[in-house]
Amino acid sequence: MKTLRVPACPLGRYSVTEPRPSGSGGKLALALLALTCIAQADTFYLTVSGLGGEQEYEQRFSGWAKELELILKNEPASKLETLSGAQSTRAAIQAKLADIAKQAKPADNFILFMIGHGSFDETDYKFNVTGPDITATELAAALDKIPAQQLIVNMTSASGGATSAIQKSRRVVISATKAGTEANATVFARYFIESLRDPSADTDKNEAITALEAFRYAEAKTAKFFEDLKRLATEHALLEDTGKGDGVKAPSPENGQGLVAGRFAVLHTGTSAAVARNPEKLALLKRKEEIEAQIDDLKYRKAALSVQEYRGQLQKFLLELAKTQEALDK
Amino acid sequence: MKRALCLLAGLSFAAVSALDAQPAEAQPCYALKHKGDPGTRACFQGLTRAANAAVQAEGFWGMGDFRAANDAFRAAVKQAEKDPAPRARWGRMYLEHWQPSDASELFGEALEIKADYAPALLGQARVAAEAFEGKAVEYAEKALKADPKLYEAHELIARVALEDNNPKKSEEAAHKALEISGEALDALAVLGAIDLLNDKPDSQWFRRISQINPHYGDAYALAGHFFVINRRYEEGIAMYRKAVELDPTLNSARSDLGISLMQLGQEGEARKQLEQAYNAGYQDPQTVNTLRLLDSYKDYVTNETPRTSLRLHKKEANLLRPYFQSEFERALATFDKKYKFKLTEPVQIEVYPNHEDFAVRTMGMPGLGALGVTFGKVVAMDSPSGRPPGQWHWASTMWHELSHVYVIAMTKHRVPRWFTEGMAVYEETAASPDWGDRLDPPTIDAIKTKKLLPIADLDRGFVHPTYPAQVNVSYFQGGRICTFIAEKWGFDTLLAMIQDFGNKMTTVEVVEKELKVKPEEFDRQFLEWLEPKYKNTIDNFTDWRKRIRGLSESAKKKNWDEVIKEGEAIRDFYPDYVETGSVYEFLAIAWREKGDKAKQIAELEHYSKTGGRDPGMLKSLANLQAEQGRKREAAATLERLNMIFLQDDAAHQKLAELHLELGNANGAIREYQAVLAGKPIDVAGANYGLARAFLAAKRIPDAREAVVSALEAAPGFKPAQKLLLELSEKE
Repeated sequence: MKTLRVPACPLGRYSVTEPRPSGSGGKLALALLALTCIAQADTFYLTVSGLGGEQEYEQRFSGWAKELELILKNEPASKLETLSGAQSTRAAIQAKLADIAKQAKPADNFILFMIGHGSFDETDYKFNVTGPDITATELAAALDKIPAQQLIVNMTSASGGATSAIQKSRRVVISATKAGTEANATVFARYFIESLRDPSADTDKNEAITALEAFRYAEAKTAKFFEDLKRLATEHALLEDTGKGDGVKAPSPENGQGLVAGRFAVLHTGTSAAVARNPEKLALLKRKEEIEAQIDDLKYRKAALSVQEYRGQLQKFLLELAKTQEALDK
Repeated sequence: MKRALCLLAGLSFAAVSALDAQPAEAQPCYALKHKGDPGTRACFQGLTRAANAAVQAEGFWGMGDFRAANDAFRAAVKQAEKDPAPRARWGRMYLEHWQPSDASELFGEALEIKADYAPALLGQARVAAEAFEGKAVEYAEKALKADPKLYEAHELIARVALEDNNPKKSEEAAHKALEISGEALDALAVLGAIDLLNDKPDSQWFRRISQINPHYGDAYALAGHFFVINRRYEEGIAMYRKAVELDPTLNSARSDLGISLMQLGQEGEARKQLEQAYNAGYQDPQTVNTLRLLDSYKDYVTNETPRTSLRLHKKEANLLRPYFQSEFERALATFDKKYKFKLTEPVQIEVYPNHEDFAVRTMGMPGLGALGVTFGKVVAMDSPSGRPPGQWHWASTMWHELSHVYVIAMTKHRVPRWFTEGMAVYEETAASPDWGDRLDPPTIDAIKTKKLLPIADLDRGFVHPTYPAQVNVSYFQGGRICTFIAEKWGFDTLLAMIQDFGNKMTTVEVVEKELKVKPEEFDRQFLEWLEPKYKNTIDNFTDWRKRIRGLSESAKKKNWDEVIKEGEAIRDFYPDYVETGSVYEFLAIAWREKGDKAKQIAELEHYSKTGGRDPGMLKSLANLQAEQGRKREAAATLERLNMIFLQDDAAHQKLAELHLELGNANGAIREYQAVLAGKPIDVAGANYGLARAFLAAKRIPDAREAVVSALEAAPGFKPAQKLLLELSEKE
């Protein structure tokens, strides 16, 4: 981590409080971070709220879709599309995806939010929309044509049943349920959307909410929702971002999940990217990155140090980092 | 207390009634058992070789081989499908084997064959008595009608009457049993227990029992049961010890001994006794669950001070401790002064996040509130996390239970149930008017239909309720009686009554001495005081119930003008209704939808002041108050929520910020620590807040530690970086 890289993007890192994978995995994560830049990339958002079936659900689903639109409308370099209620047909979804496939470049990001009811018939998942439902297989076929890095947030009931059909390398798949058999209407969507409004979801305070941060926030809040009501949880959200294997409830270096999601920004909340574009600050930025690397390194060695030693060194680095940041912000 | 066991052995050969279900061949064995004869086992063994399945079953049962007995009873029932006797005996065996529902089913089948079959009626009476149900006596009386010689029914009535704290009726019933059989061991045991409860240790009745059966430990176990339900735990333990000393195989008493020891916090010996009973095959749910609970104590941590011991589950100890410890000490300090009494030993509070664990602590105790229980100086209670948010008020429950600790200690455990519960309920609202339970629909009905009990009989409402809500209604009545006394005669009169109960006076004697009226006159005056207070609600309750449905419909249709009009018209019909779907809630929503924040706040404030506990509504109120710049009120609202529900990170975060803004640094520190104890998603944010609070309290090294923790989680967190620089300059 000694070379100056392109300006650091304000993307969420892998959880800084957790141990990183041993060996070169952690270093690789940092290298990937450095190569990701929001400045040149566009983000395409498509929100689809499906059929509610009952008035209460219709209102709830379209309300969530509107809320997402409001939150995301000021995101820089974003292209926002929403399909709600009667507009949400299989053909319309496929057409929107085909359109995005034409526009998007490999460096871009694409995010699909699915809100509503889903079902699973032991073979395929179906997203309940106006007219014929769209299956996970049909969705996967359309998504595969989009060259951008992708995040699919499937917040419908039975959404866990879609993951195996959709999962792919460079694609983060979040499902509100762990399987197609969890068929009750979900609350996960409420908390996922809330994560984009709540500053506390930005746990590393880098002014960006990543897919991993939003997932962790929504997963914890959903679990608490059921716990507080003393109800048996009818949904268990999972995240899968390796393109193989099962989704997990708690992505971590140990289970290998969350690495891509941890650097996939869903929403930016600050202006730090602008600072990074100023050539006069490059030396300071270099120093900042060096200190950050030293902090990361110290955290790897935490177990081998006494608490006093660790805290002493950490404090020294943090102080230096704070001074550097102060200079950068001037 | 496993009461079925105590009564099973009490069958005298001489007194066997013609209608009894026992096969004649088995009766000599029961006669030997009755006398404690060492040949009993051999006699039962002999029965196992009988050709008749019903006789065989008695043999296996007598040998303690329940499985074989069960098979034999099944065969016996098949052999005699139209005979109620084997079913009644099989039911008795199930009752002994801790399966009251199966027992009741068999007694029911026997009664279908013969509607007035006395042994089955007696069986149903036993099942009801085991569950402390009021219909036990009703069944026993029916059994006596069918068989006037069934002395066991009189024994059961004697026992139930003593549980109701009615020794006179109990004695009468016991003597009736003895008139039929001079060797009715449990009638003698009840009379012996009455003597012991009256501090007459040298009871002639126990001498008589000993002459009949020198190993009849059940008599002492029965006395133990009465001591325990009268909260005289130490004496109860002594009785259980005596019971197992006389009959070391009496594992029901050994289990009770273990449970009672545990209730007093003597966990080492409790485990030893329970394991001994369990290993000997006594594996009833109470023994098993209590052992499991003892095993789970490794997951708890205990915080001790000279006067307090607070046991909390590890997973929530950091969150709960500051609040529980603070209320614990505040309650003790308040009661020290109020009761003019100082406890000589530390009090222990155990807090269970799993309601089932707490339930194990209360199993077998009649009429206990489902939230907390006091055993002398040990209090067990649900954790705020043990129930859905807003369903109860933990601080109110803690004060309730700690009031018991004082009243029980001051009376040396000689207090009637109604009085100690009444005082405890009184203390809930004395601590704060918005604490305590509100008037509920069953209580409205009880007042309206004149179901409140006379003060002299009020214990019965707790121990043997005759309708499902009677225990709760009795809590309410006890509480209001204490309020009435405090208002009319003064709180010192309540203190004088405590002293009188401690001097072994009865309710009737105490009422006459301190209130200078006959109990009947007191009842009249009490109702005269009570009824006008609730007249409005009682008169309008039916109308309110009908119209609140319409209100709900209007809210669904978003007809807010109608909600406001109707809500304001009916809210004060039943102002105590603060549960889900209250008028306050509908009105607050309606005012919000109409955009009138002032009225929305006013409604929510009314709700909170009346005792509303819904965290969502209280948080809305706090947010609105804060928005209007009324930060002190907002903080007070959230402090109130802390006494109800503690597992709400957002509320702690909000309160922490408010305290910080209001200059209450210590309050902010406590709240940020609560946020961190809840393992928040935003660790950096919470540590940063804590650092600011420490800085406000001028605790610079602590502030530095906290800000380093914030930056450890998020090194690029700019506000925390600034604070770190600021703190560095200060050092």
